[in-house]
Amino acid sequence: MKRIDLRRLSLLLLAFILLAGVSACNKGQESGLSGTVLFQDQPLSGTQIEIYLKEEQDRATLPFATTSSDTAGRYRIALPSGRYYLIAKKKVESGGGPTRMLMAAAPLNPLDLQGGSKELAPFNLREMGRDGALVAEADTGVKGRIVHDRKPVANAFVYVYSEKSAGLIGPSYGEAVRSASDGTFSIPLPAGKFYLAARKRGDGARSGDLAVGDLNGSWQKNPVTLNHGETTDLGDFHVSIVKEESRKERLQQGKFALTDTTLHGRMVDQDGKAVRGVYAFAYLDSRMVGKPVYISAATGADGRFELRLGDGGTYYIGARSTFGGPLEPGEWVGTYDARPNHMVAIKKGEVLDLDRIIVREVW
Amino acid sequence: MKKIFILAILLLGAAPALGLTITRDTTWQGEREIREEVRVESGATLTIRPGSKIIFHSGHLEIAGRLIAEDADFRGSGWGGILLKGCDNSTIIRNCSIAGAKTGLFIGGGAPRIEGTTLQNNEVGIELKQQSTATLKDCRISGNRKVGLFIKDESSPHVSGCSISKNGKYGVYIYRSRPAGFTGNTLSENDTALMISNAGSDPRIQGNIFSKNKIAILVDRAARPLLTENFLRDNQTGVRLYRRADAAIDGNRFERNHEALSIAYSSYPRIHYNDFVGNRRAVFLEFQSSNWEKSNGSTVRESEAESRGAFGQSSGHAADAEARRRPDAELNGTIDARHNWWGEEGNRELNRIGTSGNPSFIHDGRDAPTFVDGGKEWPLDRVNFTPWQSAPLRRAKESL
Repeated sequence: MKRIDLRRLSLLLLAFILLAGVSACNKGQESGLSGTVLFQDQPLSGTQIEIYLKEEQDRATLPFATTSSDTAGRYRIALPSGRYYLIAKKKVESGGGPTRMLMAAAPLNPLDLQGGSKELAPFNLREMGRDGALVAEADTGVKGRIVHDRKPVANAFVYVYSEKSAGLIGPSYGEAVRSASDGTFSIPLPAGKFYLAARKRGDGARSGDLAVGDLNGSWQKNPVTLNHGETTDLGDFHVSIVKEESRKERLQQGKFALTDTTLHGRMVDQDGKAVRGVYAFAYLDSRMVGKPVYISAATGADGRFELRLGDGGTYYIGARSTFGGPLEPGEWVGTYDARPNHMVAIKKGEVLDLDRIIVREVW
Repeated sequence: MKKIFILAILLLGAAPALGLTITRDTTWQGEREIREEVRVESGATLTIRPGSKIIFHSGHLEIAGRLIAEDADFRGSGWGGILLKGCDNSTIIRNCSIAGAKTGLFIGGGAPRIEGTTLQNNEVGIELKQQSTATLKDCRISGNRKVGLFIKDESSPHVSGCSISKNGKYGVYIYRSRPAGFTGNTLSENDTALMISNAGSDPRIQGNIFSKNKIAILVDRAARPLLTENFLRDNQTGVRLYRRADAAIDGNRFERNHEALSIAYSSYPRIHYNDFVGNRRAVFLEFQSSNWEKSNGSTVRESEAESRGAFGQSSGHAADAEARRRPDAELNGTIDARHNWWGEEGNRELNRIGTSGNPSFIHDGRDAPTFVDGGKEWPLDRVNFTPWQSAPLRRAKESL
């Protein structure tokens, strides 16, 4: 006999009760989310819409609620007030051929719902490879040349984003390639609409905070629309030097914005000495992989950090001297260890002292 | 007119700089104090004349164009060092001294030439990234607190004739890179003179001298270098192979080391045509078992790979290439150490005990038949030392 997972059953029941309760209370003015899902800009029917309470659609739990899109790609799901992550998925069986998985997270995740109905902007699903990357089609893609001050830029990274709502920053890109010594690049892609950005960091990293003097730019005519079987030549893709003013401006926005919900403390080594140049990262997912939701500025000589959070909630806190990618020797790394799972619960508007986070050098 | 221009430059040089972007060709001479970032833009050349002394109170010198520095002294305390970003081989730092920086010289891409230059008392002496093909020749890299020379990010520099000594953690650290040449260098009195780490690091290390280091060469995490014609003497450990380090060790001389060769955790090297002379022990095996590897290797490697999230926690990612064994490595319970010269004493002993004996200079499964892991006993591998050479091969040179 198959074992019944009581935890999953309880969650489902809870979701059912909540949804039923909301439905009963708000018959006239239902609270929830609605919108349209697309694939290659066409409405996509039969798409599974999953609502999670945590980012990264934590696979250890069932979705909080699910629905599917209709023939016009429309979906509507009743939800109580709260903060949600919406994931859209569709498995496409193609008569004997390989099964394709289409998937996308709502670009504006997390979605704050404070009563009433919220209509989300339409967004495209994209085909996922085994590693989550975009799956290219034959003879389809984009090419060009990265240029700064009329000179080709070697070893710049060109990033392909499916959505622009995150500002073409962060690790949510579907593909990233490095320009050749003559500045040229070529990226095989599926047909569709993409947003391109290019960056060259002084330390050569694929990801991380841009420093003054790094090169940065987005394609002047974003989005790029690619047709089946065509490689689009962009020509010269201009990037410019990051200046102190633009960097400061960027740090006032998004993940770096100043808020009144704050975690603070000190980064120290195992001997208790302050460590400079370390960032604190806040995740909503206990695995602390993927994209952090908030990032502090790097610590100074006193090792102090302030991690400004957009909202109260439960966060998992890590610390590292660089952004993104696997750990490399010479990096500082650590986690907030007052609790074994590195978790901190904070209320909106609260300021919490984490005391210290011990970081160690990785060799 | 030219003299007046040079005089003007010299006068300008006397004043402290407060952040500077150089957009056209500029010459520095004499003493100059820097307090913020100085950037030389692409297309511009900064020439620093012999005898110049550049003192950094903070900031750094960033070169996106070209730097020509000769017999100059760059120093400070905790400054950001010199950053060469994509500089081609017309950038030359020759007979200079760079001291007191976080990273003395950062080379991001390009192919600059660094010759006869001393890097000392920095946290990191030189760091190469972004597939740099720089040339480092006759440099002295000494007393840097963490790493003397850090080669990362698929860089492939030529490193020759350098003296690398007394660096804190590592004299040279090669991480996922393959230097185009690493030869004729002397590495002495480092904690670990040369670290070669991770899959993708398979350089040819040839004709170098390693002396008085705690560990002369450490090969770790599936790196597979060729170590050839090196002279290793008076080290605590000559070569340590650790965690699936299937190196080729060919034609080296191991002399007066406490332990010439240490092999641990599923490393299966090929050890041929080396001279082992006067070492307290020639080969030492620990936690090394073909049986263990066949039973657990792939599972352990998977879990090792999985535990590499951004913060060292479980990431749930699939095993990566570095966790996989070289497909042609044989798992037959032996380490291949044929055709070596084991020294006069070793030779006499081998002639006495024969091919089935247990040489005193090798510690292997003949001495400790098993080890315990996970509550189970595993057979310790044995070293296959037959046939052996009857005279020294002398392929490694004692001096450069």
